[in-house]
Amino acid sequence: MTQSFEQPTVQVQAPLLQLNGITKVLKGQGEPRTILSGVDFTVHPGQSVAILGRSGSGKSTLLSLIGLFDRADEGKYFLHGNDITKLPERRAAALRSAEFGFVFQRFFLLKHLTAAQNVAMALVNGQGWSARRKRKQQVMEALEQVGIAHLAKSKPTRLSGGEQQRVAIARALVRQPRIILADEPTGALDTETGNLVVEVLLNTTRQGCGLVLVTHDHDHARKMGRVMELRDGRFN
Amino acid sequence: MLSGKFRSALVIGGQGIRARKLRTFLSMVSLFLGVLAVVAVQAGSEIAERAMLTDVELQSGKDGTIMGYVPGEKGAPGIVESTLKGRTDAVAMISSRAIIGEPGVRPINEGGMPFEYANRGGDYSGPMVYCDANGTCTEQKKEERKPDGQAIEVSMVALTGDIRPFKPFRSVSGTWLDFGTAPSLAPRIVLNEEAAKGLKQYRVPGEMMIDGATHHVSPQIIGVVQDGSSQPRVYMRLDELRTWMPAAAATTEVDRFRGGGTQLELYLQPGTDDLQQLIKAKLTGAGLEQNQMHFQTVNSKERMESQLKIMRLIFLGMAFLVLLIGVAGILNVGLATVGERVEEFALRRAVGMSRLLLAGIVLAETLLTGLLTAALAIGAGVGGLQVALMMFGSRFPSLQGTAFPWEAGVAGVIAGLVAGVLGGLIPAIRAARIPIATVMRA
Repeated sequence: MTQSFEQPTVQVQAPLLQLNGITKVLKGQGEPRTILSGVDFTVHPGQSVAILGRSGSGKSTLLSLIGLFDRADEGKYFLHGNDITKLPERRAAALRSAEFGFVFQRFFLLKHLTAAQNVAMALVNGQGWSARRKRKQQVMEALEQVGIAHLAKSKPTRLSGGEQQRVAIARALVRQPRIILADEPTGALDTETGNLVVEVLLNTTRQGCGLVLVTHDHDHARKMGRVMELRDGRFN
Repeated sequence: MLSGKFRSALVIGGQGIRARKLRTFLSMVSLFLGVLAVVAVQAGSEIAERAMLTDVELQSGKDGTIMGYVPGEKGAPGIVESTLKGRTDAVAMISSRAIIGEPGVRPINEGGMPFEYANRGGDYSGPMVYCDANGTCTEQKKEERKPDGQAIEVSMVALTGDIRPFKPFRSVSGTWLDFGTAPSLAPRIVLNEEAAKGLKQYRVPGEMMIDGATHHVSPQIIGVVQDGSSQPRVYMRLDELRTWMPAAAATTEVDRFRGGGTQLELYLQPGTDDLQQLIKAKLTGAGLEQNQMHFQTVNSKERMESQLKIMRLIFLGMAFLVLLIGVAGILNVGLATVGERVEEFALRRAVGMSRLLLAGIVLAETLLTGLLTAALAIGAGVGGLQVALMMFGSRFPSLQGTAFPWEAGVAGVIAGLVAGVLGGLIPAIRAARIPIATVMRA
């Protein structure tokens, strides 16, 4: 009789995104101001990272560089191991659509659209086209994921702050992104609602999604897998 | 299949218009007059051109027709008649004077003038002097003034065949001359509208005296046509005329000087150069000089188009000025709207929309506004034309049955689209340049 033994495997997951030596200098009318200076940053699948820091420390700038809203002056940016440091705008837009979900402090919901239409906005962005029925199904799934499917036909003006932020999170989730970037998503909410929103965001990491949360709230930061603090454009 | 980008632009553009109905309406109001002006100018010039062309074709013949003028002397009518007998690619018109009504009286419209001017003024003409080619002048004896009577004078046109392929006469009533039947002893005549008006207005006996004819004839009126002439005319078959007026009846230069005698007009289809040469050769052989025969190709449309072109350009220029004011209105509203929608546009770019598509959406909104305005302006143009035809159609017979010209519709759509592009371009560029990072951080 032969016995077979299963060899345990050690799986090293490649990082979702990796920033090496990122520097960003703000060139305005006055003296150039260094916002980020040689920042290294990595996020793995299913990992949640909180970024703490004072106002002006460069948190939001870092997030906008990660989200391809802006370009670094120096350093390298790898997404799934691919160098995307000098990506043209058109491809950056396609990546924003396919890879990232964004949640902001202000919810940025369009008042003339219903909750469902606001969520569908991420699907009607010129990056491919799906049939109306399929779009509707994706939107309802995203709204269910954040627990407000029953408010699909409500306009933002009839929703509370927490509900509006959950619509914004559903909009971020509807394309099933690999990374969620949240810039102070609880900043305009009361503590209880804020906790609820953070729970919803954390849930996404259980499905393998990476989460980068920029916050001032240490309680929320502690709930993340990793906490990093930015000070004067560098991580401590 | 429409691409995802195009569909997205249309869906979002439609949402934008629905969300800002009042602004869209105000943009349309500012643009409406401009597009309507373009539609009206284009429709007006097209209708005028068609009406004028129809009248010109009635008088001069269709474009491409070769038209010839030959004096009716030295046996020319007989030569032309025998050459064209049985041919359908060429027709000759032999004109002379005729009087319908009482014999031996002065016609109501002496000289064959339109009845509108009949019986106006007296005979104030001085002595008539005719000078021949050698410079020998002789005073012509005035015709004895006849007593006024119940008769009208018409221009009598005898045809070797059906003239309508060359001159598109419009039937008003009755029938046209049938050239396929045997000639009748009582000539069948077709009146033009002016001649019919004269016969209706004045009760004249049904007897016709033709210049050069051997006897008075009793014609049968079989129809009335619109021939574009303001002078009274009657049309008849040449072979029926020949019973009463032999081909040998020659016209002298003095006859022509007095406005009488016979005159020949020839209408030949394009590509009948051999026939033209044959006629010229025969007439030259009969003694006519080359410089007495004039042949030319009818080119009415091009001539008229060049005449109308300047007028049309002036009016279109004015219409475009009005359109520009509308464009300024759309541009103003568009810039204000982009300013208000900065966050929306930044958000759309954040969720993956490219700059180009974002600009496309802003343009799509103004283009849709322009197209909606164009549809309204074209509708107003069609309605306006119908109303105008109902009110003034009876005064202008050439306008009857006029349809709204498709060219005006196309001009309206183009004007709407151009206005949409001009009014939306700068807002679209501004929208595409909105920095996402700055807006989303605010």
